[in-house]
Formats: sequence, structure tokens, C-alpha cells
Amino acid sequence: MNNLWHRLFLAQRPSISLAFFRIPVALTLGFHLLPTFLPLKENYLAGSFRILNTSFFTGAVLSFVQKSPDSLIMVMAAIFCVAWFFFLIGFRTQMSAIVMTLGAYYFYALNAFAMGTLSWDILLVTLFLMCVTPYAGDYFSLDCVLRKDPAAFARTRPYFLQRLLQMQIAFTYFYTGLYKITASGNWLKDNPIYYVLLTPDAGESGVTKYFLLRDFFMAHPGLCYVLGLLIVGIEILMPFLLFNPGTRSTAIYLGFIFHLTLLLTLDVPAIFFFLFPAQLLLFIAPEKILMWIDDKRTIYRSAPPVQVIYDGQCGFCSSSVKMLKAMDLFDRLTFVDYQTHPNLSALHFDLTKEKAHRQMYLIDPHGELYGGFFAFRRMTWLLPMLYPMVFVMYFPGTKMLGPIFYSWIARNRYLFHKKCPNNSCLR
Amino acid sequence: MKNSRDIFISIFVVIWLLFFHYESTRVFYLQPLLKRTLPKIKFLFPPAGWIMFFNVDDRGGHVEIYGLRHGATQLINPHEIIRTRFIGFDMVHRNVLSQVLAPEVRPDFCRVLEKQFPEFEKFIVTVVEYPSLTRSRFEQYQAPVYQCPL
Repeated sequence: MNNLWHRLFLAQRPSISLAFFRIPVALTLGFHLLPTFLPLKENYLAGSFRILNTSFFTGAVLSFVQKSPDSLIMVMAAIFCVAWFFFLIGFRTQMSAIVMTLGAYYFYALNAFAMGTLSWDILLVTLFLMCVTPYAGDYFSLDCVLRKDPAAFARTRPYFLQRLLQMQIAFTYFYTGLYKITASGNWLKDNPIYYVLLTPDAGESGVTKYFLLRDFFMAHPGLCYVLGLLIVGIEILMPFLLFNPGTRSTAIYLGFIFHLTLLLTLDVPAIFFFLFPAQLLLFIAPEKILMWIDDKRTIYRSAPPVQVIYDGQCGFCSSSVKMLKAMDLFDRLTFVDYQTHPNLSALHFDLTKEKAHRQMYLIDPHGELYGGFFAFRRMTWLLPMLYPMVFVMYFPGTKMLGPIFYSWIARNRYLFHKKCPNNSCLR
Repeated sequence: MKNSRDIFISIFVVIWLLFFHYESTRVFYLQPLLKRTLPKIKFLFPPAGWIMFFNVDDRGGHVEIYGLRHGATQLINPHEIIRTRFIGFDMVHRNVLSQVLAPEVRPDFCRVLEKQFPEFEKFIVTVVEYPSLTRSRFEQYQAPVYQCPL
């Protein structure tokens, strides 16, 4: 019993899945709350139409929050946006998770009408768990880059948080299915899918979208009923399917198909598409993910290397190289210090010490040479943590401004590090 | 249990699971079983468990709001009343306007309508009901619920 408990919750296991899960959590919260800030005046400022969720909050909290002057509301919106962005990029992850969650609670207490749905309440449950530990910033985060730990992706942590998130999603399915056939649920005696499809869109209140097969299903109520029973059956079985290793991948696929179908057919909040599928991925054993990463590393190690030529006597550059190593999940990059390399032209015929002194270079597996900004831009295709930067790197105008900014950094690189006794002597 | 961290985690896990399953079963299973109202855990969990689409019946309904000017009525597009645009879904389609029928929010809602649509002299908040979607899909009854100013 003690062993089982240990295996379920206390065992140290890689935290990489949880670190990745942080990103969909941030996106879901952002998609749900940030749009309500655009008409801030209409949704939150004095004179806005407000509905208070008295079952969720205590009266004291509600009356305290309702006293907020407009200036405080605007400050809280700004704080939330900053904390949300920090959480998304994984900077001071746990602190930003706590501040962001408190912000989400504040706006929920201020006006539940603006964003309150059942799925919002579910999202808050997940957010609470994300606040409990700092593991969410172990990888895919600015925190891990700043820590410069090249083995950060393999870090192990107590598994309880991931297990609780697994249990949350599995039992959410279970209870959702159970409610549909017991309590006041009517999925056995009635035909809810058929009724939802029939709801006219008058007043723009119909929850069903006009999807491709809507008319077909509307013409086949028997099929809708069978489909309803099938959904209920799968929902109730989900905990068993997900926790049983033999059926796990099938359950994950089923969950993905289910949520994609919901998104295509119903007006359901973002959580159903962004959060739940990502939460299903938490069932993939993190050790398997590490094995997959190891396999990729082995493949890349035997392939022609991607060489990054940098200045090893510049503290800023060496520090940046350590950060790149922390980001280099698949071990794609090999770093070469031009100051100590005996023959740079052996790496590439066009490379000299003078050139390497001016800027960083990257030689890709095909022997192509990239310098400065373009070397960094090439790296964004190689390091998963830099993938989001690809869009920025190819944004119109970046090709012109990027090299100017890069060459300014490169010229002043000896001034950027905190403690380096040999700074000025090398300038 | 090797250390205090394991004990702390174990206590947290047990409490969390108790809370989770209590809130999942409280309204529809525990309360009928114990025949009394049980307290809700504040600040977490949905009001009545995981009840997404658990009861969808043959009837339907929504709220329509009309503006009156010079004796003529005009249906106000609900998207002009709720102007928040979400990514991937639409609160109006989730029938969020039905919340304005609650008596305690009516004065506030009237005030907002008057401010947002100054071109109208009066507003009528109506409810549209479909008695049976399966028997007569487009048969609907509309009734005024309240007027603004109240």
C-alpha cells in the first residue's frame, strides 16, 4: 500500500510534461480573460453591468472587490497582463502563476457576467494546482534558460501534481457522463444531441454551429440518440481507459476527436480545445518523452553538426552559449570558440578570425554559413524553445532592423556581462 | 514516508481528492442522500459539479431586447449589447443574456441599456420560448418580461 501510494504520488519523475502543460494553461486563460479587457469600461469599470457569483465567493470578498475604484481595476488589468505573459514564457513561474491566478479571481469577483461559465470554474481548479508547485517552470521557460542548466529537461520532481491533473480530467469525464444518466440527467430517456441540433439560431442564441453534417444528423434522430449513448459510455469509461496502459493511447485519441468535434459543432469556450486535450497528454509517461528525446539526440549526434562559432573570451557570449545549451533539447548545436580554434577556415572556407570577431556564425549541416542576426534566425528553427520566435524573425521589417540591432549588441558585447575582469582589456 | 516533504504532499493529495469528489457529488448525490443542504467549498469548483449539457430538454428559449423610438420597435442585435469577442466561441450563443431576466439585476441592466443606446426612449426585454423543438420546431411564444425604464 505504501509502495502504491509512493508510486502514484511521491515518486520522483521527469517534470517535462508539466512544464509543457503550462503553455496551454496560459493560452486558455489568456483566450478566456484577455478579450474581456478590450471593452474594459463596459465589462469592469464603474457603471458596467455586473453579475456577482455569490455561490463561488463569500459576501465579504465580493463587497471588498466591488469597492474597487476604476484606477485600481486598470492597475489590476495591467498586473494580470504582465503576470500572464511571465507565466506564458515561464519567468518567475510560480510567482507569476500566483499573481495571475489572483488576478483572474479578482476579475471573476468583479464581474462574473464578463467571463463566468462552467468551464471557467474548471479552469480555476487547474490554475490552483499550477500555483501549488514551481515545477511548471522546469523547462520550456525563461527560468530554465536563466538557470543555464543543460539537463533541465530531464529534471525529476514528485509526481503528485501531474497525477492530480490526470485525475482531474479523468474524473471530469466520468462525472460528466454519470450526471447525464443519473441525477437530473436525461440522456437515457431523451435525445439531447437531437434537441441541441434542432435549436433554431433565432436571437443568435443557439449553441450549435452550422457545421457540415448538421442537417444529416437532424434528419436522423435515432443516430443522434445512439451517438449520445456512445458519448456517455466513453465518458464514464474514460478513467479506466486513461489509467489502463493498454487503452491509454486510444483514450487520448478519443479525447482529441471528442474535443475537436465539440469545437467544430458547438459554441464551447476555449478550454475545451486548448486545455483538455493538453491535459490528456499528461497521461503520456514522462520517461517515454525523455526516451524519445534521447533517441532524437542520438540521431542528431550522428548527423553532420550545426556549428555555432562564438567569442569564448566574452562573458556575455559564453553566458548566451550556456543559455542556448539549456534550450538545445535535441542537442543540435556544437559550439566552437573562435579564440581557441586553430583553423577556422577548416570549418568553412569563408570564415576568418576577423570575421568571427565581428559577429557570431552558424554553419548548418549543409555547409551553409549564416552570420549575426541570420545565424540567430537560423537557430530559431533548430531549438524548440525558440520556435515561437520564428514568426517574429520573419516579420516584415525584421530582416532590416534585426542586423542593425544585432551588430550594436555584437559591438558592445564586452559591456554586457555583470562580472568580468577581462572586459576592458579585450575591447 | 521518508521525509516531511512526502508527508506534506500526502496530506495535500488526500485533502485535494476529498474536496474534488465532495464537490463533484455534493449537489446531486450527497444532498439527496443525506437529505440536507451541504456547504459549498468557496473559491473553487463549479456550483453543482461537472454538469456540462447533462440535461437538455425538448424546449428552448432565449432573450430578445427591443428598443422603442417614436412608437416603433426595433430588435437590438445582442452582439451590440455584449460586445466582448472571444476567440473560438461566442457568449451570446451560450445564451448568456438569459441572466438579465433575474429581478435583482434588472435596474442595472436598464441603466446600461439606456447609456449604451441613447437613441431609444424605452426598452422591452422579452423572452422567446420554444414549447417543443421536436413537435413544432419553429413554433415560438414571445412575452415581455420587463420594460426599461422600470
